[in-house]
Amino acid sequence: MVERRLTWLAGIVLLWGAAIFLQLVSLQVFHHQHYLNLAKARQEVVIGIPAPRGSILDRSGAPLAMSVPTESVYVNPLKVPDLDVASDMLARVLHMDRVELYGKMKLARDNHRGFFPVKRKIALEEGQLLRDLRLDWVDIETETQRRYPKGTLAAHVLGGVDFEEKGNAGIEKFMDADLRGQAGQARLLTDVKRRGIDQQSATEARAGTCITLTIDERLQFVAERELAAAVAAHHAVSGSVVVMNPSNGEILALASYPTYDPNQPPEPAANLAARQNHAIGVPFEPGSVFKVITLSAALETTALRPESLINCHGGVLKLPGRVIHDSHLGTGILPMAMVLAKSSNIGAIQVGMQVGKDNMDRYVRKFGFAQKTGVQLPGESRGRLRATNYWGTTSLASISMGQEVSVTTVQLAQAASVIANGGMLVRPRLVLKKGDDALPQEPPVRVIGAETAITMRQMMEGVVLHGTGTAARLVGYTVGGKTGSAQIFDYASRHYTHTYNGSFVGFSPLVNPAIVVVVTLNGTHGTAGFGGAAAAPVFRVIAAEALRILDVPRDLPDEPMPKTLSAKNLNDLAIADIGSDQPNILEDSEDEGQPAAPAVSGPTIPNFRGMTIRAVLAEAAAKGLTVLPDGSGVASRQDPPAGSAMHQGERIRVKFSR
Amino acid sequence: MSRYLSPRDIDWPLLLIVLLICAVGVLQIYSATRGTESHNAWWKQILYVAGGLVLMWLILPLDYHAMLHHIPAMYILSLVALLGTYVVGESVFGSRRWIPLYGGFHFQVSEFVKLVIILLVARYLTDLRTEELDVREMLKLAGLVLVPAVLVLKQPDLGTALTYIAVLVVGAFLAGLHWKYVAAIALAGVLVLPVGWHFLKDYQKTRLVNFLNPEQDPQGAGYQLIQSQTAIGSGGMFGKGVTKGTQAQLHFLPVPYKDFIFSAFAEEHGFLGVGLMLALYFVMIMRIVQNAQTAPERSGMYICMGVAALLLAHILINIGMVAGLMPVTGIPLPFMSAGGSSIWTSFLALGLVNNVRLRRFVN
Repeated sequence: MVERRLTWLAGIVLLWGAAIFLQLVSLQVFHHQHYLNLAKARQEVVIGIPAPRGSILDRSGAPLAMSVPTESVYVNPLKVPDLDVASDMLARVLHMDRVELYGKMKLARDNHRGFFPVKRKIALEEGQLLRDLRLDWVDIETETQRRYPKGTLAAHVLGGVDFEEKGNAGIEKFMDADLRGQAGQARLLTDVKRRGIDQQSATEARAGTCITLTIDERLQFVAERELAAAVAAHHAVSGSVVVMNPSNGEILALASYPTYDPNQPPEPAANLAARQNHAIGVPFEPGSVFKVITLSAALETTALRPESLINCHGGVLKLPGRVIHDSHLGTGILPMAMVLAKSSNIGAIQVGMQVGKDNMDRYVRKFGFAQKTGVQLPGESRGRLRATNYWGTTSLASISMGQEVSVTTVQLAQAASVIANGGMLVRPRLVLKKGDDALPQEPPVRVIGAETAITMRQMMEGVVLHGTGTAARLVGYTVGGKTGSAQIFDYASRHYTHTYNGSFVGFSPLVNPAIVVVVTLNGTHGTAGFGGAAAAPVFRVIAAEALRILDVPRDLPDEPMPKTLSAKNLNDLAIADIGSDQPNILEDSEDEGQPAAPAVSGPTIPNFRGMTIRAVLAEAAAKGLTVLPDGSGVASRQDPPAGSAMHQGERIRVKFSR
Repeated sequence: MSRYLSPRDIDWPLLLIVLLICAVGVLQIYSATRGTESHNAWWKQILYVAGGLVLMWLILPLDYHAMLHHIPAMYILSLVALLGTYVVGESVFGSRRWIPLYGGFHFQVSEFVKLVIILLVARYLTDLRTEELDVREMLKLAGLVLVPAVLVLKQPDLGTALTYIAVLVVGAFLAGLHWKYVAAIALAGVLVLPVGWHFLKDYQKTRLVNFLNPEQDPQGAGYQLIQSQTAIGSGGMFGKGVTKGTQAQLHFLPVPYKDFIFSAFAEEHGFLGVGLMLALYFVMIMRIVQNAQTAPERSGMYICMGVAALLLAHILINIGMVAGLMPVTGIPLPFMSAGGSSIWTSFLALGLVNNVRLRRFVN
């Protein structure tokens, strides 16, 4: 009886035991993963470790953009014991509006939000003060803030970042993926009270890559300063400058005006115009500078040579539906070199006609127009050139002199580099190094023959020596260039206005040029706003500075400095250059510590070369001289020559030309 | 009579198994209380075990027949003590179970009453001397057991009260209660459940609800169950290793060294450890049952089976609870959970078994 009952009992117990056993098997064997995940989910907290954004450096390693740690204040409104007191305290410490803060915190609490950002990027002393208060409902978190230590310098190249340190323009945007780095993660083991106990595993935050630009900050500074001054002086709307090494495409300076401070957050619609990068993003009709392309195409595809004579039709050319005037030029027949030097529209059209539609189109494209240069900036414009089948009857003529085509400053720099470096298309680039790795360069593509390039350089020197670009002449260096003064086409009225895009495209020195500089001023007025008058002087200053910075050896004997050197000394220099064994006068004088300052008794005739009529008259008035101006444009010749002793009551004849 | 007694006749295998379980318990208590305010619970537990062994040793010379003889007095004393908890008892976790002793120790009356219940049932059923338990006698016995059970239930301590019932049911079953009454009791139990619902405390009701649906309130009453299941489940086949059980170490698991010690153990030692533990408990119970079978007469058998029923009820209810098969009732796992009263009661129960065993050749 008892035995049977015991068996029964054992059976029931075993049943119950088996149920428990099965439950344990189910928990530990079959659903192990589920519970493991459950445990992990409960115990682990994943914390993001922000990665510092990479710095942006200029080519010599000077920081242009860097991320510095800052602090931000957050509160948990649900934990704030007294909102009134809290807002009072926070407002006082953080210099905020008490009432506004109270309202916001109240709203956050009413919405049961446990997280409320009070103020981001607080000052160091504010954070210190707040910490000293030891409020447990206040959270001070360390974040990083993007800083541009040089302020507006290279603003358009750098761009800027948004609130989350994401690039929103410029290199910051274009190279965002590299700059941003990779945020790390720490998996914290937390206990039931959410206290971190142990760091389970962590993926290190990978700092953003440091980007080294091709920009030289000194040159960038000069370029921006000169551009801003020129835009102001000529009442232009905007302007841009690109300084480029023609042999490897490195952009040494890229300036756009108006500019902005990337440290300031972009205000809604306020200064967005200032954020436009005119050098790459705003195409314009290049005007006469484009004749360089026309003539290059002509040298390549036709029998025309620099000395080939071009009939300029007496300054008036009738085209179907259009009449072209060469107002400032004489009449008759000019050699092609002079067509470029004097920037004859009719001459350029004649040349363009010989080049022909297809060749013209081909060469314009070969020079890199109507396509992006691929410079490492977002928002680059490709410019515009219509396909040949859409060309009108006068399109070839227009394009020959730089109309019906639109280009950007950086495209012009790229095209000028082709001529400067002997005929290769080198893509401009802004990024020198990514971290420690030099970026590979796209292989250059031949566009024109070396012969053509050399010939073009010589013709472009003519522009500076005795053409429209005399204001671009440099002391001690040969210069080649081309001016451009394109009337701005008003799309509303479909007419060309009397505002101009004054531009200058140049390089120096003539043989194996070290730099290409393109200056564009948009929306200048009158003849003073022409490329030769407005943009060429900007070129001169920037190019001189660039050559000095790059330590390019001079290829010209020092020209007499206006007002200091006499013609006599120039001769001495020439003699000294011949290389006699005898120590020459200059060296002697240098030994005496008086470099190039020979005594000239009495006032001398100033050098008016390269100055506008207005400037000449102003200077003459200041010195009490009488000037007899002749022609228009910039001073090209003067009689008596500069530096000669001035006689009483002598009048100076100044020949102006364009 | 004592001249027949010899230490050689103690059930050494049983004692060895129990001490093994105790050792595992101490280890687990050490692991689960590391870095908490009760970090010294493990050596306290060693002291309790030592004390338990002494207690067991002390009751061996007392003939169980003599104990059975004094059961009415012990029974009345128990009732008085239980009522005493209502007067001088300290309330811990909302339950008045403990009578404070000097020296900071607390005496849990209901634990020792278990032994009295075992002896009471044994004495009562032995005195009947019938092959089949009469239903009227059955009801009388049930009444005797239910009085202290209700007192304990009102403390409130449902788990302990259930162990009293378990001893009663097993005893009655073995005494030859007719099948139809067994069936009737089972049926009555099922029928009583909905009625009994109204007599449950609110927290008991929520525990029951949360047992049926723990996800309903994961941060509230269902919390313990979810954490316990998570601990057991995440242990997997081989466990996370000693002191590596995150659920217990990070305090997700409530009281991992007392009622939920099995979860903590399962988390750190995995299914293999759990299987081993269950095997040890199984062997332990089987040894006790074997002692019941070799008992000199009925009273000895009833005592041994009462102890077996008591320990089994503890084991099954506790493990069933932490594994999520039963509602959460605060009940310790014998020989493992930290706590002096539980350990001592279990060792005294073991003493009773050995007491019977030592005298198996007497008659």
